[in-house]
Amino acid sequence: MLTVDNISVRRGVSTTLEEVSFSLEPGRTLAVVGESGAGKSTLISAILGLVRCSAGGVSWNGAPVSRCRPALVMQEPRAAFNPRLSLRRSVMEPVVAQNLVFEPERLAMLCRALEVQPDLLERRPDQVSIGQAQRMGILRALIAAPPLVLFDEPLSALDAVTQKHTARLIADMQAQEGFAALIVTHDLGYAAAFADDIAALREGRIEEMGTAQAFIAAPQTDYGRTLRDAAFALGALERVA
Amino acid sequence: MTLHVHGLSAERSGQIILHPTNVDFKPGERVGLVGASGSGKSTLGHELVDALRAQGASVAHVPQSPDEALDPLRSMAFHWREAERALGLAPDDARRTLLFKALQIERGDLRRRPWGWSRGMQQRFVIAMALIGTPDLLVMDEPTSALDPVVAAGTMDLLDDYLKDRQTALLLITHDLGLAARRVARLIVMDAGRIVEDAPTEAFLASPKTRVAKSLCAHRNWLELPC
Amino acid sequence: MIGVFTGFLLRAIVVLIGAALATFALLWHAPGDPALAIAEARYGQNVSKEVLDFIRSEAGFDDGFWTAFWAWLSPLMLGDFGQSSVNGREVWPDVVTAMSYTFPLALVSLALGLAVSVPLALIATRKPGSWLDRGAVALASVGVAIPAFWLGLLLILLFAVQLGWLPAMGAETSAHSILPAMTLGFGVAASLTRIIRSGILEARGQPFLPAFTRRGVARRDIARDHVAPHAVVPVVTVLGLELAFLLEGLVVVEVIFARPGLGSFLVNAIFARDFPKVQAVVILAAVIFVVVNLAIDLIYRSLDPRVSGRDA
Repeated sequence: MLTVDNISVRRGVSTTLEEVSFSLEPGRTLAVVGESGAGKSTLISAILGLVRCSAGGVSWNGAPVSRCRPALVMQEPRAAFNPRLSLRRSVMEPVVAQNLVFEPERLAMLCRALEVQPDLLERRPDQVSIGQAQRMGILRALIAAPPLVLFDEPLSALDAVTQKHTARLIADMQAQEGFAALIVTHDLGYAAAFADDIAALREGRIEEMGTAQAFIAAPQTDYGRTLRDAAFALGALERVA
Repeated sequence: MTLHVHGLSAERSGQIILHPTNVDFKPGERVGLVGASGSGKSTLGHELVDALRAQGASVAHVPQSPDEALDPLRSMAFHWREAERALGLAPDDARRTLLFKALQIERGDLRRRPWGWSRGMQQRFVIAMALIGTPDLLVMDEPTSALDPVVAAGTMDLLDDYLKDRQTALLLITHDLGLAARRVARLIVMDAGRIVEDAPTEAFLASPKTRVAKSLCAHRNWLELPC
Repeated sequence: MIGVFTGFLLRAIVVLIGAALATFALLWHAPGDPALAIAEARYGQNVSKEVLDFIRSEAGFDDGFWTAFWAWLSPLMLGDFGQSSVNGREVWPDVVTAMSYTFPLALVSLALGLAVSVPLALIATRKPGSWLDRGAVALASVGVAIPAFWLGLLLILLFAVQLGWLPAMGAETSAHSILPAMTLGFGVAASLTRIIRSGILEARGQPFLPAFTRRGVARRDIARDHVAPHAVVPVVTVLGLELAFLLEGLVVVEVIFARPGLGSFLVNAIFARDFPKVQAVVILAAVIFVVVNLAIDLIYRSLDPRVSGRDA
């Protein structure tokens, strides 16, 4: 279980995260929503240990998070890969880095599940579509079977149809593998459809947190309502009469 | 006056990216142009603007991100004056105040350069600039995807209010049918450089005809996905 | 702005002290006995041991590196460049005389370089990839590769020896400056052409330009108001480096064309082991470099205010 215990992060004089707490069980999905500058990316960095928390701490089953080898899926699929390496080499990086035994069956299984044609693995990142590249990004994240996967705006580079398709693939993989997923997104529609819980982050604080249904049906805070109404206005959510 | 465009087409490095296309817009009409990435939506938007301008119609184009519309070395005032000059208009404070009020950027400091403004305000400035000449058609290319949802929704609402009783037609280019369906009365669907469907929004959503349109409709709503 | 200046002043001080220390250390550790060299320069061959001892104590060589360094640096900080260790004359007036030859030549060369490179780059970028453009690039690449001493000799051979149109040696008339200025100006023109050309091409590829065309802004206005300012920024940035090359080229050119000036002054001083003179030139060059770079930094900030992150 991921435990984020009352963490604050300061950068310079400004505080980018302020007393953020939550926990995330294996197999569950937490979506963190909020505007740019709210601290969503800093939260990911703090969980991965890339920035120091000035207070509080993050742990996985009581041990440092890095011990559980969490994986990260980034926003820009192509930029997430070394442009000079074949996708196969990039995708196998976690296996090499962690000195694991390569299991061809697992790679084949993931390719099937994520709808990646295996011959595309021989190409370089700029020779596949963005949607394919993002599915390979997910494949790389899952290859070493991590118990925790962080998704940083995983869909925002994709078009609407591909977004929904990819979201479905992620959810299916999670059902099969049972990892805990933390998804940072600005799209409340995605959060509502695929997360168990939603946390709204604003100026470094969690403004509102609750189950996805409750959040969409009846936000408890003004900010929650603002986010929901924006999603209505942009057609990301349908208003239920 | 209804705008007609005939025989638009485009190719890039020998490949046809826009097959010969005809489109028309009624005054004040709200039209959505949807399709997957690479279907030729943006190309159609660009060609449309160039062709209509060549016909002498007044058209304006708002690109996806303010970075594609503003010169970081020039002040906002410079941009505004330049846009007026390009239309052959004399500076008019009343017009500017009206547009700035409508898009709620009257508090922006015009002496600053674009990066002195928030992105949401930059985008609204670009929209205001596009409306200077009260164009017959306003083309907006993915107006929401570079902005936060709250800011994007606010921008779209302000634009809707401004256009409500005016003759300016709106073409909203987006990959997101959910957004388009919420905002426009008529939908055009593109696939592989061709317009494959063109129908009133209600009728379209009720019975999409082509495979692409069906897929777009099926993936319209996050909470009602197929499978 | 004040913060920028303080930061710059601190950097300038570090650079100047570094330059002073480096020159002094290099001369100090140069092979051979400096006292002997000075004595020979002053009194000819066969100097007695007493004379050598006198020179050593006079220049402070006896008391170790740091004492000697300080003995030179402390008057320098008050603007006193000291006296020549060879003939005892004040260094500063000689340096001023040398500068009166060098600076006009440097400015003319720079102007020549700009006068050639700006039109050339403008013509070349009219149609990128055309034979004209490729020709300009080829010329510029060759120009950067040709060393000044070789070009200078070629020019002398052609214009002075073969054709006899221009004088090769000395600096008596302005005709004497033509060949040196051509030699230096060619190198400057070559490297500036490349920089201006790529600056223009880069400025033309900026993502916001199509929107201005679509807005109906005239092509000429776009070029003037939105391409040129962006193209100038990298050019200004490298002008400082250009100055360093120019200083280096000046030394070579003044020696080849037997012109008086800072370069030949420096070379003569090095051969004579005239420490105070060498150090004066090096410090002066460092000061010029620092001041020019400060000016460029300030121009750069006013051209592109994003650098300071503040606006209006």
